[in-house]
Amino acid sequence: MSELLRGIVGMADWRVWAMFGVGLALIWLAVKKEYEPNLLLPMGFGCLLANIPFSSAVGGGFLDVLFKGGITNELFPILIFIGVGAMIDFGPLLQDPEMLFFGAAAQFGIFFTMMLALLVGRIPGVMGIPGLREAAAIGIIGAADGPTSIYVATRFAPALLAPITVAAYSYMSLVPIIQPPVIRALTTREERMIRMENPEHEVSKTVKVIFPIAVTLIAGIIAPMSVALIGSLMFGNLLRESGVTERLSKTAQNELSSLVTILLGITIGSSMGGKQFLNPTTLLIIAMGLIAFVFDTAGGVLFAKLINLFRKRKINPMIGACGISAFPMSARVIQKMAQQEDGSNFIIMHAVGANVAGQIASIIAGGLILALVR
Amino acid sequence: MDPVVAEGLRISGLSYVLIFVVLGIFYGLIKLLLKMFPRRDDSA
Repeated sequence: MSELLRGIVGMADWRVWAMFGVGLALIWLAVKKEYEPNLLLPMGFGCLLANIPFSSAVGGGFLDVLFKGGITNELFPILIFIGVGAMIDFGPLLQDPEMLFFGAAAQFGIFFTMMLALLVGRIPGVMGIPGLREAAAIGIIGAADGPTSIYVATRFAPALLAPITVAAYSYMSLVPIIQPPVIRALTTREERMIRMENPEHEVSKTVKVIFPIAVTLIAGIIAPMSVALIGSLMFGNLLRESGVTERLSKTAQNELSSLVTILLGITIGSSMGGKQFLNPTTLLIIAMGLIAFVFDTAGGVLFAKLINLFRKRKINPMIGACGISAFPMSARVIQKMAQQEDGSNFIIMHAVGANVAGQIASIIAGGLILALVR
Repeated sequence: MDPVVAEGLRISGLSYVLIFVVLGIFYGLIKLLLKMFPRRDDSA
């Protein structure tokens, strides 16, 4: 009888109710608002499973097995990247390689937030972010790239994995709300109306096949810590572009991605135990995640404006904001903004180019941070 | 300055610069590839 009653007795803990609220809120955001539903729904349900008192799903249950088998050893984010790579068409970037630099510029939020986390952690009386590794794990939310955030957080701050993942995916889904006001604050209407010619030349299949191989080798040699991330992304892309592994490419894009997303989501959700999640550090991380996205956007836009000082053919500075990873959401947002100013302005090809550049840059940023932070 | 903050500043600055360097190398790579294989080439 006491076995049956202990679950009910366990409900006396307020943290159980609070975490039920968090789990249900994630499910509500997924179902009602359609914010990253493929991830937030499994996460929300995983959160419920983990917080039921004396749940058999955790404490040696199947969610613990999944956590050890897929998160602790970084397997799930790597598998997700194979699927992401198979979905990405690097064509727009290869047609207009200058867009790479916007990908680089828009990683600014990572480093700004990392510094902010370090400084805030040193204010007496504020719940601390103890060291460089934790600050780097929080900053990497600014990669605007879920798997990279999970990968870095798992290595540097496993205790902060849940809030970092929640922040990363939540803000990725909120890009249409976060980016427009930042862009409007930093640009004039005339700048937002700048037209850009679409590149006319086609990219040969040979280039598309060589590109993922060469990028893997170069990035791997420069930053060996990035090999797992960039290698899996580019492997997926090679499956797509080779033209001879269509079945594998489709499997990576659909079945593999879906399967791993289910497991990743529910497992991350299961790490949201009340004791670890409900503390001021979580709130700080959620707030800093927003700051990271804002400064990513600002970094990209301001870099575009800086380049325009030296160019005859001006770049629409909104393109800089697409250098944030968040693919393909950011490119869509910028195209929509361009058309709000001028209904016949199509900058989507450039926007997509900068957006996939952001995907590469965010992985490089993750690899460099893993290599440099001790 | 707090040594951890100073180290963070050093790593942040270096990482940000290195991202530009690495992507600059990719830029050169793409330019080279486009020059070597200029047009549609479906024979690959």
